[in-house]
Amino acid sequence: MLSLTQALDHPLVADCIVPDRFAALTTKEIATLRVTHGGRTARLGDFFKVSGERSASVRLEGNLEKVEGIGAGMAGGDLVIEGSAGRDLGLAMAGGRIDVRGGAGENAGGARPGAAKGMTGGEIMVRGTVGDDAGARMRRGLLVVMGDAGRGTGRAMIAGTVVLFGKTGPGAGRFLKRGSIVALGTIERPATFRYACTYRPPHINLLLRYLRTRAGVPVSDGQVGGRYERYSGDFAELGKGEILQWAGE
Amino acid sequence: MKINGVAIEDTFAEAFTMRVARIVITGRSLKWAREAALKLTGFATSVIGCKCEAGIERTMGPAETPDGRPGLSVLFLTMDKESLPQQLIVRLGQTVLTCPTTACFDGLPDVPDRLTVGKALRVFGDGFQASKVIGGKRYWRIPVMEGEFLIEETFGMQKGVGGGNFLILAEDADHALEAAEAAVDAMADQPGVILPFPGGVVRSGSKVGSKRYKSMIATTNDAFAPTLKAVTQSQLPEVVNSVLEIVLDGTDGPSIEAAMRVGIRAACRPGVRAISAGNYGGKLGPHHFYLRKILA
Repeated sequence: MLSLTQALDHPLVADCIVPDRFAALTTKEIATLRVTHGGRTARLGDFFKVSGERSASVRLEGNLEKVEGIGAGMAGGDLVIEGSAGRDLGLAMAGGRIDVRGGAGENAGGARPGAAKGMTGGEIMVRGTVGDDAGARMRRGLLVVMGDAGRGTGRAMIAGTVVLFGKTGPGAGRFLKRGSIVALGTIERPATFRYACTYRPPHINLLLRYLRTRAGVPVSDGQVGGRYERYSGDFAELGKGEILQWAGE
Repeated sequence: MKINGVAIEDTFAEAFTMRVARIVITGRSLKWAREAALKLTGFATSVIGCKCEAGIERTMGPAETPDGRPGLSVLFLTMDKESLPQQLIVRLGQTVLTCPTTACFDGLPDVPDRLTVGKALRVFGDGFQASKVIGGKRYWRIPVMEGEFLIEETFGMQKGVGGGNFLILAEDADHALEAAEAAVDAMADQPGVILPFPGGVVRSGSKVGSKRYKSMIATTNDAFAPTLKAVTQSQLPEVVNSVLEIVLDGTDGPSIEAAMRVGIRAACRPGVRAISAGNYGGKLGPHHFYLRKILA
């Protein structure tokens, strides 16, 4: 477990907090991992009390809204954040699960600057809201947002799935090649998506049941077996992706 | 040994090692899941002529299926590893994929030997198909005129047992059929077992090869055919005038034994004189189910 020991007045880049990396490290080794605070190099132990060792199941406590890059590049393990996380949560992650009990900042599950791909596997669950560009350039994996999402959610997705329970800002799915954005709340679709049909997608049934049993997400039966409007797009790109918007029971 | 006055012969059923897959079919209603399962398991009584053996294992409630809809589990068996995926691809593609509202899932998720059946069927989507990974499993969404057909990418394959059996020797055809029906009903809820023949019952048990036709790999079991008592080396007592066979396939030997125990006990009723079993002297099949040992 990592407990934040002080209030942060500057962003703390802590992309060393990676469960599968922790699995091979002692408590002391974890505490000496490098972080960047306000542009200066420091150690993880300068900001967090570290307890436990050699485990791929990691729990974080404290107000982490200014902690950036948590779980970046993680390939396995479980990360539970008891609160909100800063930007770049699960940046380019390849596997494992992140469960954020609060919200997350911009670019959750997104790509590193200049990189072609965002997350390529694993699951991110955000119980609160997310900032802009969540799931941008996602190649594979699952991002679930229980609250509202910012602008550009799922922007330029290559594949994978984004499930949005709240209100979604403009530009969702813009330049999406493949992949699915499942909108259970309201969503502003780009004009380059085209309506296909209204139907009951069998995989949504499976997906929402999975979220209900695996993560305790309060999904209604009407959403599980409900009707969804399918919008194909983005026709500014391949057009092989989709926005599935819940249309009721 | 006797049960309800019915003699249990001191013999054994001889069965073979086969390869088995368990397919879970769900539908909007049990009716549509059953329609698909019946087509899938049609003409799959014996590997002798059908190249596979299949049957409905049991019905599944919404709480038991992956998508929370009513469904059925089907066991599907072949003699070798290679033909199981071939048969599944052809049959699932022509029966379950075509059937309204159905979806298709693997019923042996923990088995390491995987058959890429769904992956092969995806090409029906002609490039419009899409996959989704949910809970670590990959599923294929194949667009069809109704909407979408969902099938799991891989299905487990394990060793199973085919050819467990017992014979009901009765005073007449009516009593033989009543006993066979009682046995089938009693075995209906046995897990890991199917009865691949029509209604679970075989009237034309066979022996290996032919006394007369070289090309035949199986011909009538003349030793148990009552009309041939006077002209062949019959194994039937004077009072027996009809014989029906129950054939059992399953995921493992203990499942077959458990089902045989239940089925034989149910078949021991008035009008039945003896229970026997089919074997080849113990030289062909590695699984031997001794009737008296099972019922002890």
